[in-house]
Amino acid sequence: MFVSQSMTREVITINKDADIFEAKDKMTKQRIRHLPVVGKDNRIIGIVSDRDIRSALPCSLLKDYDTGKTREKLLEFKIKDIMIIDPFTISLSYTIQDALMLMQKTRVGAFPVVDKQGRIKGIISTRDLLRAFINVLGIEESGTLLCIIVEEKIGQLKKIVDAITEENISFGSVLVARYWDEGKKAVFPYLLTKKVSHVKTKLKKMGYTLLDPTEWYIDQTSQDK
Amino acid sequence: MNKTGFLYDERYLLHDTGPYHPEVPARLKAIYSGIKDANLLSILTLIKASSADLKWIETVHERDYINRFKEACLAGKKIFDSPDNQMCPETYDTALLAVGGILDTIDLVMKNKIDNAFCAVRPPGHHAEINKAMGFCYFNNVAIAARYLQKEWDIKKVGIVDFDVHHGNGTQHIFEEDPSVFYYSIHQHPSFGYPGTGREFEKGSGPGYGFTLNSPVLPVQGDSEYKKFFENDLFAAFETFKPEVIIVSAGFDAHIDDDMSDISLSTEGFSWIMEKIVKMAGIYSNGRLISVLEGGYSLKRLPELAKNHVEILLNS
Repeated sequence: MFVSQSMTREVITINKDADIFEAKDKMTKQRIRHLPVVGKDNRIIGIVSDRDIRSALPCSLLKDYDTGKTREKLLEFKIKDIMIIDPFTISLSYTIQDALMLMQKTRVGAFPVVDKQGRIKGIISTRDLLRAFINVLGIEESGTLLCIIVEEKIGQLKKIVDAITEENISFGSVLVARYWDEGKKAVFPYLLTKKVSHVKTKLKKMGYTLLDPTEWYIDQTSQDK
Repeated sequence: MNKTGFLYDERYLLHDTGPYHPEVPARLKAIYSGIKDANLLSILTLIKASSADLKWIETVHERDYINRFKEACLAGKKIFDSPDNQMCPETYDTALLAVGGILDTIDLVMKNKIDNAFCAVRPPGHHAEINKAMGFCYFNNVAIAARYLQKEWDIKKVGIVDFDVHHGNGTQHIFEEDPSVFYYSIHQHPSFGYPGTGREFEKGSGPGYGFTLNSPVLPVQGDSEYKKFFENDLFAAFETFKPEVIIVSAGFDAHIDDDMSDISLSTEGFSWIMEKIVKMAGIYSNGRLISVLEGGYSLKRLPELAKNHVEILLNS
């Protein structure tokens, strides 16, 4: 899973000599929060976020904050005066996992994606990663979530997947998570079917414990407290 | 006592879903025997099915979809659109009979020949989208019923109450932009149950915003949660909307003994729900209520649940 498959390709950019209002209007109109600043050959030279814009403008509660003389004064400032120079960028070969980890580490909301020459090819934001996560969970397709508690030993997942596959049921996703009892794991298969009673009975007969998914969450919440 | 209609036809048993499928003809037999054994048949207005005119199916479904479905049946296909939708050569005709029977029932209600009715039909309908069969459903019975009420009987505002344990994604999507049809659904929370839609924040869109209302219920919850949601969500919504006719998507699969869900609604809980809906019909829609079967898979529980359902229609 490379960022090149999940990024927004049609990047809305801005020129370093544009004024702040132009950037603000672009963001409002396109409903985005980051504008890469590009120079010659589409090379990235900076980035400006909605937070940079808001800090640069006077308080919106003040009368005439963006009209008349105030506006005239503000028009003298350009994007190059407020942009972040040399922003974090990532390459096309970055994976979604890389982007997630980097976002967590840097607390940056969007990364321009650039080629080897530093030319902008796309942008990946928290919004794109959320979409990718929804895709990984498979929850845009109709299905039913099961929760199976298994012993933590090799081969458990195979048995479950085989048993479900024999019933001609497709998987939307399978998540494996830690469970509070030592030596056990919780497996969450998301099955693309409404018809789960038969397979549930089958799994129980095979000796697995099927847990109501809420119980797992309740367990987790109480542990967190 | 109300004059209550009961739509049932043995041809509804012809839709054969094949092996290991919960949506079986025996469900309908169980419902029929529950009503018959309680000696209710003689006081009900019995309605037989007739095949629906395609023009009514087309008020909801794309013509291309209808043709695809018909051709799949003719070609002897065993499944249609999704592996859940197992079928047989009679499925298409049975689906037309389900809709036709419901439309005839609506005529009886609108001509004041009966006050309300329970339509024990197969296949069910609320998952069926405009152009996709899903979750054992082919034609969206209640959606076509709502359009029929509007086009044939000039009803302006239709209220749909869906208490099947699964969210009626099809019905919601068909009417999500339509402020003339209010869709209310109470169901197992979509993160824990099929089909994964019907979250609290799904409230319709465009001019239909605010005319879709979902009450997702977490697993293991039962009567008290259902009562709370009905009182807080549905009662207030219908007080404002004032439906001229109420259609019920009646699914009995939230029952504690039904293994299709993890919701623990009791037999009494189902009665409470139905009593409240019938009461609302009395207040807002001159008693006009058409209840249409969706799911419910416990062959052991269906007889008593259907019997209670019909008794409430008769006596409330």
